[in-house]
Amino acid sequence: MSYVDAGYAVALATLFVYAVGLVVRRRRWERALRASERPVAETGAPSHGERS
Amino acid sequence: MSASSLVPPRPRWLDVVGVLGLVATGVTVWLGLWVTPPDVVQGNLARLLYIHPPLATVALYWAGGVAAGGSLLYLWPRTRSFFWDRLAASAVEVGAVFSALTLATGSLWGRPVWGVWWTWDARLTSTALLLLLEIGYLALRRVPADPAVRARRCAVAALLVAIDVPIVHFSVQWWQTLHQGGTVLDPGFDLHVHGIMLWTLGLGFVAFSLVFVWLLGVRYQVEVLQDAVGGQELEVSLAERWSEDPELVGVGGSGAEAHERGGAP
Repeated sequence: MSYVDAGYAVALATLFVYAVGLVVRRRRWERALRASERPVAETGAPSHGERS
Repeated sequence: MSASSLVPPRPRWLDVVGVLGLVATGVTVWLGLWVTPPDVVQGNLARLLYIHPPLATVALYWAGGVAAGGSLLYLWPRTRSFFWDRLAASAVEVGAVFSALTLATGSLWGRPVWGVWWTWDARLTSTALLLLLEIGYLALRRVPADPAVRARRCAVAALLVAIDVPIVHFSVQWWQTLHQGGTVLDPGFDLHVHGIMLWTLGLGFVAFSLVFVWLLGVRYQVEVLQDAVGGQELEVSLAERWSEDPELVGVGGSGAEAHERGGAP
């Protein structure tokens, strides 16, 4: 492999892996947000507006 | 509030930017590797210069500019919003990736042209310092703290990172070391690249800029989601406390809430 091929491979592969990683992270956090919401609704705790 | 409404919508324009970035990058690679002729002096090694300067431009000016601008707007009381804090944090992380790639592709070009993988040249050293400062910023961001405190200290840290940007830019003029001057333009604005080589390099700048915008947008969404989950977890903890001791109701909200309302926590 030449230096040129290596340079293109490193740059494109890194950007691709980082981009896929970001999409996976976004999906995980979306799932976590949906999951973390349920306990609040179930506890019947006061909302922000009721507190003050 | 319904469960799905807390998840921020994905803007359509971001998908369009992502597709355009992908296509532009593909065309740049095609032109750079197969269509453009070898350089008279450097031969095929000049093909690395269709990606190295664009990567450096994104790392330095786009990421550095967004990080510095976002941090300044966060620190300015009239424009203070977590939007700017999250945008700056996203720019620093994406910028760190581009800084690392700038160093990697530069090193792969330097080995056959200069004869070394690395040298303590002013441009190289200041770019490596930029990457280290960005990693330091990301480490600082992971230190647990109230969201407003974290945002304030990260904004200051981002401005410290941004100080290195003009140093990298002017390093080739301030210190006469190994790295050449402007790749496309010299200080007199004389073009060094022409024809299909210029078009390929120009497309490279557009392609990586589009990729940067897409990565920044997705990274920003991750930041928003992280904060929302953190806020939700705090809500759960407080709800549990309130359910145990109803007299706690009315004590007050989190620092982040107070901050979002416009006041200091």
